[in-house]
Amino acid sequence: MWSKRTQDELPQRPEKPAGAPPASAVPSTEPPRRETNTMSSPSRVFDPEPISTRSTGPAALGKNVTIKGQIFAREDLTIDGEVEGTVECQEHRLTIGPNARVQAGLKAREIIIHGSIQGNVDATDKIDIKKEAKLVGDIKTSRIVIEDGAYFKGSIDISKAVVNKPAPQPAAAPQPAPQPAAAVPNAAAAVTAK
Amino acid sequence: MIFGAGKGIFPKSTAKDAPPTLTRTSSGLNQFCSVLGAYQDLSILDMSGASQANISFVTGYGHRISSDDIIGTMGECFGKDLLEGQQAASNAQRFLDQSLTFPDNSFDGILVWDALQFLSSPLIEQAVAQLLRIMRSGGQMLVYFNSQEKAVRFPVYTYRIQDHRTVTQVARPGSTYQRSQYFNSRNLEQLFEHASSIKFFLTRDHLRELIIRK
Repeated sequence: MWSKRTQDELPQRPEKPAGAPPASAVPSTEPPRRETNTMSSPSRVFDPEPISTRSTGPAALGKNVTIKGQIFAREDLTIDGEVEGTVECQEHRLTIGPNARVQAGLKAREIIIHGSIQGNVDATDKIDIKKEAKLVGDIKTSRIVIEDGAYFKGSIDISKAVVNKPAPQPAAAPQPAPQPAAAVPNAAAAVTAK
Repeated sequence: MIFGAGKGIFPKSTAKDAPPTLTRTSSGLNQFCSVLGAYQDLSILDMSGASQANISFVTGYGHRISSDDIIGTMGECFGKDLLEGQQAASNAQRFLDQSLTFPDNSFDGILVWDALQFLSSPLIEQAVAQLLRIMRSGGQMLVYFNSQEKAVRFPVYTYRIQDHRTVTQVARPGSTYQRSQYFNSRNLEQLFEHASSIKFFLTRDHLRELIIRK
């Protein structure tokens, strides 16, 4: 911020209309303004950073917002309202707030759940289900943390993250049908075969 | 070191009036887990509700786990008095519509724990039929029944697996339910008469453990 700016970085004044007199012909009582870039005049400092790149925190849907449809986010997203449809935040974090009521399939890198979800949840990295959360649906993730008191009904499929994908192997032999292993020797056990 | 810690001899209390948290050795669980280690890609249903311990234990073997809180569903459908609430046909049907609604042959193993003892006839027979329906042929389920003849009301526990033969019973706050009846060996053989085998494990702490095989 202390380096001098080049002329190209300074703001361009709007062009005068064709019929307007030249600036030199207009009498002015004010002294000519000078663009400065000093700490003593912050109100005049020009911020060249475009609005789109400003750091404004994660995107958020408030508790009074209802959305039906598809949501694609390229940044972290917090949902605290009602959503019906699908939500995708690939490579980003999705937070379901305590007031949220979501009927949707969710996909994200990391999903943190405080509210209510009915739908399947797919997180490539981690799912964190807080104690006040209610989730009815199937989970697919690499890691899961579930607090005591959380309500969950569904299945959990842990898919280990693959770092180096190995060369394709020939199809494995079919798994045998699940059979109980041989009875563990236990003097207290008695078997009633039917 | 605390003497007896982790063995259930001196159970620690979670709150002033709450039933104690118990840690016990389970031969039935040991039998159940022998299958977990012998096969891959099994589907296991845990009917004690979701807990980090059980999820980590089952998925640590590489298996898929499903969670369903059957006692929680009983509370929703029957109210505070489970036995009285399930006498109404509409409540019983609502329970069957909400619980054990999985497709046929979905699971290789089911951890039922002690939930069945709070159901009375004919609902308990219907629930057992549903359990056998959703379990694959050759699969097995672990079921507990309290074996105290005179006791009537029991605290409701969630069961958390610590290792292949140790389970921690954590009391649900404020929940004690009346058992529908005392189940002796003959009752249990009749209840699971459509299973291919029943294996009983005798325990020291008033809990009868069963491995039911389809």
